[in-house]
Amino acid sequence: MTPARTSLYNRHAELRAKFAEFSGWEMPLQYSGVVNEHTAVRERAGLFDVSHLGKVSVSGPGARAFVDSCLTNSLDKIEPGHAQYTLCCDESGGVVDDLIVYLRSDDDLLLVPNAANSAEVARRLDQAAPEGVQVRDEHRRYAILALQGPAADTTLSSLWIPVGHEYMSFVDAEYNDIAITVCRTGYTGERGYELLVPWDDAGVVWDAILACGEPNGVEPCGLGARDTLRTEMGYPLHGQDLSMDISPLQGRSGWAVGWTKPAFWGREVLLAEKAAGPARRLRGIRSTGRTIPRPGMAVKVDGADDGVVTSGTFSPTLRVGIGLALLPPKVTEGAEVKVDIRGRSETFEVVQPPFVKTSPS
Amino acid sequence: MYPEDLKYTSEHEWVRKPGEADGSVRVGITHFAQEQLGDIVYVQLPAVGDAVTGGKTCGELESTKSVSELFAPMSGRVVARNDELDSAPERINTDPYGAGWMFELVPDDPSVFDGLMSAEDYRAQVEG
Repeated sequence: MTPARTSLYNRHAELRAKFAEFSGWEMPLQYSGVVNEHTAVRERAGLFDVSHLGKVSVSGPGARAFVDSCLTNSLDKIEPGHAQYTLCCDESGGVVDDLIVYLRSDDDLLLVPNAANSAEVARRLDQAAPEGVQVRDEHRRYAILALQGPAADTTLSSLWIPVGHEYMSFVDAEYNDIAITVCRTGYTGERGYELLVPWDDAGVVWDAILACGEPNGVEPCGLGARDTLRTEMGYPLHGQDLSMDISPLQGRSGWAVGWTKPAFWGREVLLAEKAAGPARRLRGIRSTGRTIPRPGMAVKVDGADDGVVTSGTFSPTLRVGIGLALLPPKVTEGAEVKVDIRGRSETFEVVQPPFVKTSPS
Repeated sequence: MYPEDLKYTSEHEWVRKPGEADGSVRVGITHFAQEQLGDIVYVQLPAVGDAVTGGKTCGELESTKSVSELFAPMSGRVVARNDELDSAPERINTDPYGAGWMFELVPDDPSVFDGLMSAEDYRAQVEG
């Protein structure tokens, strides 16, 4: 199957991006290089095209209450105009996807799932939706641009795009008569924004941000840097650190479950797991030497095959190998574990993420 | 991008004769290889004294995203390694034919060198 392309594909090609297929989308992996782009985000700002992310609208009377009865986090915690990180579980407690919900009003929500799971999230919601609530998979309705890093505010301000609103809140605005939604969110640990822009208008906004951002050192950034940035923060990636086999409690995401809610998918199983204690937990691991852990590598504790690396990379900030690993619950921060790196047993320290301190607020 | 005075392998190593050490050749990876790998963040080189076999793995290169094997271009004994790459592996990206050299070996059969690819042949291979 030919991979899909975002509306910014030609711009990425002109910027000489190296592409990679990601969940059926041909996406920029890097432009100038992962380390350089990573550093740009930590020190200045980086612009990402994340239009491959899904967009699912849920609307109609009672839409908010319906979504609240399906997804794990409690929508009672937020007001319209705010977004929330939440999980879509199945009845067995497995994670179908993690996603952001934009609460526009009690009757109008926009969900942003991962590219690979968007259709499945939409299907499950559509199947469960009561009369009058519409679920629409609108993948190509919006492009999503993420501007992340300390120079994000200055750059957007110079385009008269509103900034400075509360973390995880969003505002509607216009740029050159293009309706955009600006949300204070991101996946990098840095202060920044994600912009929802009508699919075919994304190029104008992309060009303007890069042009106005140039004096501030803003650089186009690919999914390679997005992965090293999120790993430094210990943010889970669905499909690696959360999955149908890795529950929210195992995957450091119990905070995104509204435990006292009367209903959400997977509630019974997850409450039972909470009471019993999860059989394994996702922890940070950091190399004491110079090796890099990779997903799938076995982790040994006391000489036994006890765990597995779910995410791993080189941390450009710390210049050391870091990762996330599912470990027995008794293995806590400060412990030493061994990772089997292609037949070599290498020592890692168990640490509490984030690996890097940032100032996102 | 592919200096004329070097020989090349299909596994994207270059070989320079002579190396610094007596009777040795110097080995690194090509511009094409470093570009394909992206930012190189860790290298594992063979140790001085190791015997390596032509066409067989003798080390590893890691970028942020992936691991690649380093192949010995010819059989021989390793007589030098570029220790600078332990702390500055990015030199492979910035200067693959200079400061990014990897190791030197004394070949078991020096005539193997002459049978390696010329710059022209290598360029034809990577540029298809």
